[in-house]
Formats: sequence, C-alpha cells, structure tokens
Amino acid sequence: MNDRIIFDDVSKFYGEVLGVNRVSLSLPPGITSLVGPNGSGKTTLMNLLTGLVQPTRGSISVLGMTTMDATEFFRAVGYCTQFDSFPKGVTGWDFVFDGLTLHGIGYEEATQLTKESLERVNLGEAAMRKVAGYSKGMRQKIRLAQAIAHRPRVLVLDEPLNGLDPMARAESLALFEELGRQGMHVLISSHILEEVDRISDRIVLMTGGYVVAEGNIHEVRQEVHEKPMQVLVRCDKPEMLASKMFAMNHCVEAKLHKDGGGVFVRTRDLDEFYRLLNEIAAEGEVKIDVVAPADDDANAIYQYLIGSDGGLS
Amino acid sequence: MSVYKRTYHSYMGEVTPLRTRFLVLTRYGFSDVWSSRITNILFAMCFLPTVIGLVMIYVMNSDVAKLLLGAQNIRGLTIDQRFFFGVMQSQCWLALILTAWIGPRLISADMSDNALPILLSRPITRWEYVLGKLIVLWTMLSAVTWAPLLLLWGFQAYNAKQPWAAANLFIAGGMVAGSLIWVALLSLVALALSSWVKWRVVGTGLIFGAIFIPAGVGGVFNAVMRTDKGFLLNIPFMMTILWHRLLRVPALFFEQRVSLSLPEISIALALMCAACVLVLHRRIRAREVVRG
Amino acid sequence: MRERLEEAKKWAARQPYRLWWVQLRAVVRLEAKRNVLAWRSLWIYFLGFIPVVIIGLHTIVDPAKASGMGEDTMVLAGIFQLYYIRLGIFFGCLGIFSRLIRGEMVERSLHYYLLAPVRREILLLGKFIAGCITALMIFESAVFLSFTLIYAHYGAAGQAFVMDGPGLGQLEAYMGITALACLGYGSIFMLLSMLFKNPTPAAMIFMGWEFINPILPSLLQKISIASYLRHLMPVSMPMHGVLALLTVVTEPVRPWAATMGVLVLTAVVVGISCYRMRKLEIRYTTE
Repeated sequence: MNDRIIFDDVSKFYGEVLGVNRVSLSLPPGITSLVGPNGSGKTTLMNLLTGLVQPTRGSISVLGMTTMDATEFFRAVGYCTQFDSFPKGVTGWDFVFDGLTLHGIGYEEATQLTKESLERVNLGEAAMRKVAGYSKGMRQKIRLAQAIAHRPRVLVLDEPLNGLDPMARAESLALFEELGRQGMHVLISSHILEEVDRISDRIVLMTGGYVVAEGNIHEVRQEVHEKPMQVLVRCDKPEMLASKMFAMNHCVEAKLHKDGGGVFVRTRDLDEFYRLLNEIAAEGEVKIDVVAPADDDANAIYQYLIGSDGGLS
Repeated sequence: MSVYKRTYHSYMGEVTPLRTRFLVLTRYGFSDVWSSRITNILFAMCFLPTVIGLVMIYVMNSDVAKLLLGAQNIRGLTIDQRFFFGVMQSQCWLALILTAWIGPRLISADMSDNALPILLSRPITRWEYVLGKLIVLWTMLSAVTWAPLLLLWGFQAYNAKQPWAAANLFIAGGMVAGSLIWVALLSLVALALSSWVKWRVVGTGLIFGAIFIPAGVGGVFNAVMRTDKGFLLNIPFMMTILWHRLLRVPALFFEQRVSLSLPEISIALALMCAACVLVLHRRIRAREVVRG
Repeated sequence: MRERLEEAKKWAARQPYRLWWVQLRAVVRLEAKRNVLAWRSLWIYFLGFIPVVIIGLHTIVDPAKASGMGEDTMVLAGIFQLYYIRLGIFFGCLGIFSRLIRGEMVERSLHYYLLAPVRREILLLGKFIAGCITALMIFESAVFLSFTLIYAHYGAAGQAFVMDGPGLGQLEAYMGITALACLGYGSIFMLLSMLFKNPTPAAMIFMGWEFINPILPSLLQKISIASYLRHLMPVSMPMHGVLALLTVVTEPVRPWAATMGVLVLTAVVVGISCYRMRKLEIRYTTE
C-alpha cells in the first residue's frame, strides 16, 4: 500500500488570486514542517490535502486515498485547523465525543477514545466546561484532541502552537515527536521555526504559493549555494584559527565569537573546510573543542530563501 | 547611571473636531455600503417608480407627447394626491428592500468581528457610534424616498398650470413628512435588529420578518378576537393609513371598516421606535463576543 | 450494458449501508439537539405558538362562545392559510433550514463535519432530516393545539364536530399540509442557503413568486409549493382584494397528485443540494 502523501502538479486559484501553484510533493511518514510567510499558501495546501477546498488543477492522494471516498479517507486523516471557532454551546467533551460518533464508533469505545485524547492534551479536568469559556490555548488543545481522538495515520496541524504557553508548547511538540516516531505522518505548519525545526524530519518551504525548497533540513541547506555555510568552531586560539582559515579561498568570512572562545567561519565548500580543519587539528597548534553548523536550521534556510520580507532573496 | 534617549513623541498634529468626529464612522459606513455591487443595483432600482412617474407627468402635461403616443384622451389618470401616493408607496417599499440589504452591513459586521470594543475604545461614545451609522441609513433612504418625491412634485409644479403648486403644497409636505417617518422607523428597526443578531445573513431576514410577521400576528389577533386593534402591529397597514391622511387620499374600503385613530397609530409607531432605541442601548456596548 | 449493470450491482453490494445508517443517525441526533433545544430557536417557537396563545386568550375572554363554530372554522382556515403557510412556516423554515449549512459557514464550524468520515450526501440528508424534525415538531404541535383549542372551546358540540363531523378530516389535512410545507419550503431554503451567501433576498423573491404564482401559466405553477398546498386545503375561504390571490385555485388537482408534486419537488431540490454539497468548499474569509 502507498504510504505517501502525494501532491501531483496541484494548483489552486481563488478567482484571480493564486492560492498555490504547481505543487508537486511526495511526503514519506515522519514529521514534515510547512514553512513560509503569511499568505504563502500553507493553509491552502492543508485545506487541499483534506478536501476542504478542491484543486483547480492536479490531484492529491493520501496513502493512496482521495477525499472522494470520505469514509476511508477521514478515518486515516486528522486535521487540526487554524479556525478558532466551534459549534455553539458545545462542551470540550461533547466536541471530541460527537466527532467520534460520526465515525460510527460505539458509545463505550468513543468514551474511551475521548478520555484518552483529552488526557493526551491535558484537558481532562476542563472537559465538561463549555468551549466558549476556554482560553485561547485550551481551544487550541481541544482542537488537537479532536484531531487525534480517532487515532489517525495522518495528522495535519495548522499552526498548532499558536496561543500555547511555553510549557504547553513543549508538551505538544513532545506529542508530535512521539507520533512521528511511531510512524505517523505529521504535517505541521508553524511560524515558530526554532521549535518545529527541532522535531522536523523534513521541511517544505513555501512563498507566494510556490514550493521553493523541500527535503531534509541539512540537505536543503547544502543546496543553497549562494549563501556560504556558517560553522562555529570552539577552540583555544580562535584568532590563529581565523587567520589560517582566511588563507583558504573558499572561506569568505571568519568572525570571532563574542565570548572570545570560538570563531564563526563561512565557507563555500563544506567538505574542503572539514578536511582542512582536520589538518589543523592534527598539527596540534590549535586545540579544537567543538565544531557545529551555525546556520543549518529551518530558521536560517527561511531567511536565506525567503528573507524577512517574505519574498525570494 | 543610565541614559535614555527620548525619541518617542505622541501625536501633536491637528485632530478632527470632537463634535464632528462621529462622521468618520459615517464615512466608513458609506464606503462599506457602496463596496457591494448589489447596493448599486438596488439603489438604481429604487428610482424606477420615480422615473416612471416623471415620464407620466411629462406625458400628461405635454400635448405633443400625447399626440405622439396617440393618447390624447387619457382617462382615469390625473396627477393628483392618489398619483403621488402610488409613487410614494412604491418608493417606500423599495426603501425597505434597500434597508434590509444595507442595514445589517452597518452594525452586524462590527459585532461579529469584535470591532465594537476597538471602536468604542476611541474617543467616540455609544450614541455617536449609533448616530454615525444612522446618518448613513438616513441619507441613503432619504435619497430614495422624499428627495425624488419632491423632485417629482417640483416637476409637476413646473409643468402644470398655476396655481397647481400653491393648491397642492400639502402633497409635498405630506410626502416629506410621511417619508421621514418611514425612514426614521426603518433606520431604527434596521440598526436595532442588526445590533441584536450579529450575523448579516440573519439581520436581512429579521428586518423583513419584523415588518411582515407582526402584521400576520396582528391579523390572527384580529380574526380570533374579532377586533381591529391587531392592526397596531401591522406596520404596512398603519403606514398606509398615515400616508393616506397626510396626502389627503380618500380612505379605501378596508380602511373605512377599521376604527384606528391617528393618535393610536402614532403611539404604536413611537413605541416601536422606542423599543428599537432600547435594544440599541442594551446591545451597543464594548464587550467581546466569544464564538463558540 | 449487462457488464455495467453487474458492475453497478457489485458496487452497490460493497457500500457500507450499516455505517451510513449509524452516521445518519449520529448527524440527525447532533443537529436536532442543536436546533430544537437552542435559545436561538426561540423565535421560531414564538412564530409557531403565538396563534395558540391568542386562541387560548380568546377562550378565556369569550366563554359565551358568541362567535359560533362555523365562523371559528373559517377563522382557523384563515389563520392556517394566511398565517401558518404564508408567514409562520415560511419564515420558520427559512430560519431553521438556512442555518443548517450557511449558518455553520457563518459561524465557521462546518469544517468539523466535512472533516468527519461521513459522505457529504449523508451529512446533508442528516441535516435536512434534523431540520424537518425541528420544523415538524414546532409547527405540527402548534397547528394541532390551535385546532384543539378552537373546538375544545365548544365542549360537547366541538367534540361532535371533530369526532363525528368533518373536524377530524380537516385536522388530518392541516397536519398533512403542514408536513408538506415544512418539507417543501425546507428543501428550497436549504438549497438557497447553499447557492447564496445571504439567502434572505432570494427567499423574499421566492415569497413574491409564491404570491403571484396563481396568475402564472399552469406550467410555472408546478414550480411552487403553495400552488400544490392550495389544492389540499380542507376549507375554502372567500377572500377580497390581493389576499384572494393567496387562496385562489386555478385548475383542480387531485390531492394525491398535489402531495406527490410537493414530494417530487422536494426530492429534486434535495438532490440538487446533494450535488452542491459535494462541490462545497470552505472559504470562511469570504463570508
């Protein structure tokens, strides 16, 4: 059976307004982060995936299924949307439980699953209160509980960390990480890049309705040739190391760390850089403690490919 | 020791005079109302009776036009209070449709989007807010009721043999007064209902419902209780009587059988307006609307 | 051809009918709970029961039965034809059925249904049935109470009129017409709410259509709920002026044909709604 989420040349236009254009993706299980500025098409892509909007062109399949077969499709998919609204007068418990009854799940099992999902998001105590009285963070959590209650194989999360306090954010991230490790597809869109970066297996970078990069974060970073890689080298003689590095023509920048205990080096050829660093270390003049990439994360990739203004830089 | 650079300055420029500040809301109200193509269509449609009336007045006063149309002896049509009543009635009912469309756009959107607390946190009072919105409705409805009716009367006065204008001045006065009462009632009903229901879709339905359903309930009351006091809930009926009296149109058959006096009708209409003001007073508050 | 038929049979045999039934019941239960017991439905109860209150008042203030049963029969016919059918059920169904889809779009909660593993046709049917249950519950009981109060007022004579006279037949007719009106108007308002962001202007045009329908050609009369219902009225009423338009019967139609007419019209409109539901997209920002 197909275990991938596939977008095949998908375009969506709202009249004359572009939603997404010519998106082709094939996402394996694990955690995938959708990253991009506001209006880049992340939510449209998620809505297309779940059939809330229909593509103008192209096709989408999730684990080999399409939304035409709603019964099978939505058993496998859970979607936590960004819409901060609920049916009128509903309690947290009813909100999750009623959703499960629509799956055709019996009373006892639905009760069990509701309990389980509410506990997973730490909302067990507030479950019987009306959702209208919940805080923003609680509303976010109850939506998440509803999305995971039926134990889907694909979880789509649109800005799931919005409105959560740092503690709840950490708990949610741990939950996503656990679900991803268990082999679930988790598709997350978020602006909190530092946090999703930590748990993501791959990213999809979007701007203006186009996918500008896709894949493993480190691989994507290496593909960005026009922005030399930055590496932090912690050592006992950073000035000496910096001068040695400047002698290499692929090193374009060397900057001392503000605590004086290291140097940031920018290089166009990472392999060559590591080879030379090995040689320097072997010479023994400089004692190297730590070598770590300094801009090999989603945030840096976002800055390089999209820029702070949201356009392609 | 710390040195702080004081680079921030509050706004020191000119501000709109306090008395006319609510007109900012009116301006935005107009731009919102006119942003819809349907408003344009409805507004244009509202002038249809006036245009037909103008043509009829022209034909009735022009021997050449009559000759061209081969209608030298038009019988049964005279430009008198009945004619103006007909046009006025059409204009006023079209104004109801226009109200149902634009009325809920004015307040409901602010309620559903939680914009009211933001607006009322500015130096604008609740009543200024209502006044700002009311002016939008009043202007729009005036433009399709008494203004074109006066134009029509003026056109007839210009074309007719004198002393038509002097003898029929009461028609102009009656049309302005009747239209103004209708416009005031419609504006208040529209604002009150749209402040009550939040959603524009519901607001439109409720404005129609508020006019027709009490009329139906009044009809049931009349039929069951063998009375005619139920007509005091029937806004279309009361307005028809009021317009008839103002334009001195002879009472129709069904009116003659009804024993409603003008003070009773006036009190009923005044009570409806007061109820609308009360609803506005209770609803227009800086409170957050929680969806759920 | 035969292969296709076999294919269709196999497809039909594969469908999870039991699951659909369970899901349909779940949707109906959820929606009925939201519609019947909601504060916002209070005005629909008012629409339905205000004649009952007025008739109740009448029984108190007119204990001498000065009006006479024949006259009251005409009054009830007038209330039913001019109030319930033209206003109460019309506006009540507008409120109930346009809320089912458009109301949820306005409140931005429809996506929860669309993300459930329920076929959209089942979802729509469930919502429609729930709307019908609400409308029928309110208006059937209101019409029944109005009828009962009118004749209970006359004691034994009223009982004889209902049990031994034409009363029971009239009650059956009123109840049947009420049910058909709820189904017919309900289906139309549900479709209108899916076609237009603001269905009220369209509903008002439909109201005008229903009003002028008796003077239209007979082919066009078939596209109207009121034209079918007129043929089923148990008591004919003499009317004057424009109100006569609402009760006039242009060409006689058999009751079963009129009933089938409303049911077929309802089925066609619900079918179109199902098609629209399949194509429905969630774009709350444009609401």
